[in-house]
Amino acid sequence: MKLVGIAGSVADKSYNRLLLKYIAREFKDVVDLDVLDINDVPLFNQSDDQTDSPAVQAISNKILAADGVIIATPEHNHTITASLKSLIEWLSFNIHPMSGKPVMIVGASYYDQGSSRAQLNLRQILESPGVDAIVMPGNEFLLANVKTVFDENDNLKDDRTVSFLKETLGKFTKFVKVINKMNEKEDPGWQSEDLESHGKVETTVEGVDMHAADWVEKAAEKTNAAEGDDYVKLDRGLLTVNQLNYFLNSMPIELTYADANNQFIYYNHFLEAKDMLAARTPGQAGNPMADCHPKRAIPHVQQVIHMLRTGQTDMFRLPVPGMGPDKYVMHYYKAMHDAKGEYKGINELVLDIMPIVQYYLKHTGQMLVKDPDADTDAVSGASTNTKPEKTDAVSGASADTEPEKPATAEPEKPDEVSGASANS
Amino acid sequence: MHKFVAIVGTNSDNSTNRKLLQFMQKHFADQATIELVEIKGLPMFNKPEDKQIPAQAQAMAKQIDQADGVIISTPEYDHSAPAALMNALEWLSYYVNPFADKPVMITGASYGSLGTSRAQEHLRQILDSPELRARIMPSSEFFLGHSLQAFDDDGNLVDQTKLAKLEDLFADFQTFVDITKQLNHANAANKQEIHDIDWANR
Ligand SMILES: Cc1cc2nc3c(=O)[nH]c(=O)nc-3n(C[C@H](O)[C@H](O)[C@H](O)COP(=O)(O)O)c2cc1C
Repeated sequence: MKLVGIAGSVADKSYNRLLLKYIAREFKDVVDLDVLDINDVPLFNQSDDQTDSPAVQAISNKILAADGVIIATPEHNHTITASLKSLIEWLSFNIHPMSGKPVMIVGASYYDQGSSRAQLNLRQILESPGVDAIVMPGNEFLLANVKTVFDENDNLKDDRTVSFLKETLGKFTKFVKVINKMNEKEDPGWQSEDLESHGKVETTVEGVDMHAADWVEKAAEKTNAAEGDDYVKLDRGLLTVNQLNYFLNSMPIELTYADANNQFIYYNHFLEAKDMLAARTPGQAGNPMADCHPKRAIPHVQQVIHMLRTGQTDMFRLPVPGMGPDKYVMHYYKAMHDAKGEYKGINELVLDIMPIVQYYLKHTGQMLVKDPDADTDAVSGASTNTKPEKTDAVSGASADTEPEKPATAEPEKPDEVSGASANS
Repeated sequence: MHKFVAIVGTNSDNSTNRKLLQFMQKHFADQATIELVEIKGLPMFNKPEDKQIPAQAQAMAKQIDQADGVIISTPEYDHSAPAALMNALEWLSYYVNPFADKPVMITGASYGSLGTSRAQEHLRQILDSPELRARIMPSSEFFLGHSLQAFDDDGNLVDQTKLAKLEDLFADFQTFVDITKQLNHANAANKQEIHDIDWANR
């Protein structure tokens, strides 16, 4: 479970930050807690919108991508600090990343009950409509007398405190699951994936025939695309389009980009179709994905895309045998997202992993032997007697999205799920 | 004539709370001197170890110290007082004590219909904290809802019922200031206690 931790203090020394760091360390098996820094967040000003400042954006994006948030608050003047309030105001002004987020409040203070008022205040603030967070009821964790409760390694000394914290955190993880379940959108199902690419996304080039063999040229003209020695600013670096091509075309991997509209818009063209592990031809770039697959493969493709789009899986792996005993060809389908976690399409990576395996064996002085206990024929592609694959790679990975007809990856038609295939 | 400091509870350029205080300054000119004070420009409070507060906060503290009372007009952000106002109050309680036993009147303007009822309650809680110990005028609330429509082109309050209420409350505040001056036995002790708060410990 991915959580972000926010300590409501910008002072050099903060026991609330110490507490969050401790939780991150001590309970790393339970939660993956990323403790964020709020020092660079500017003081909120309604007439000077800095929503787009790097500090606010970074925090917002991390909150959006997280399952829940833990806030540790000090108490100043019977309330939370201005620095924490300021952050919350940015997150309730033009963006609302806390909306629907499960939140747990904790607080460390020098006295008994020191942060109880601040915690209560924070709860009211977080539940106001502009913030719209969902704060876990009850379960206040107030760490009092902070000066004496940490040992020299910044760990909590008292076992009962640790077990209470653990119990509270355990409740919160359940709370997070329940709330996020409640927030889930109704899944329209894999059948909703439109491989004809009738829809459009922000980057879709309109008015150019997707089926045309010269889609790349036409679309480039229409968008006045950078080319040749034009510079492109990247995360992280600066290349010319030529350099970008040298770079991508020297990858020992066949790369394909299918966008969120299921349009096949790019592959690294360094081989002719006949020499590729998953054949593509230059004229296919721009095609809707339906153009590149045999009809009967469409449901499988839809399922895989849908799993990636909805985040059921981040990467789908598919061994595609049929290229003889010396190759073990893997197709990896990796979901791509923008900084806000929005689905941006699929990066398909195709490579033969046999040379890697062979290299490893040779250089570590090992050899492959058959596992007598293996019940699936998982290594068959690598073994000398290639048997047709019986396991159902596509539907097996998603029991709840079964197509009408069970899918079987047939060895002689290897490229059913891949982004494109020249001979279909 | 009483001298009051009026704190604009926001750093926003176009504030209806500032408009309200400007109106009060003008409207009550024959009854009291009202100086407007801005909180814009104060850095984020970070509990500096040298215990120094910014020059702007020092000047504010001095102004408040010398005034007979303070009027604070607060917007409402997320059902509470804005961070900018909370920030100013953090500075004004950090090894200084201008609010100790100081009579305070709270007003508030917001775009919605409730007119900062929750922010004012929050502000009361803050001003009542051991670090500030202000003397907030009890049972007096001035809410200006729909504040974008509340003033005419000359900056005058349009709603006559609201205006009458404001005049009554202001008269009460004048009396409250006089009474508070007599509640002075614990003043020194209060100031001392605030001074002794060890901020390194919170
Ligand atoms: C971040 C943010 C949160 C706000 N939350 C509230 C709120 O909880 N209740 C409310 O009545 N108005 C809310 N507002 C609108 C305010 O009424 C309005 O911005 C402000 O109070 C007007 O005061 P001013 O004219 O002095 O700036 C919010 C505005 C901002 C920018």
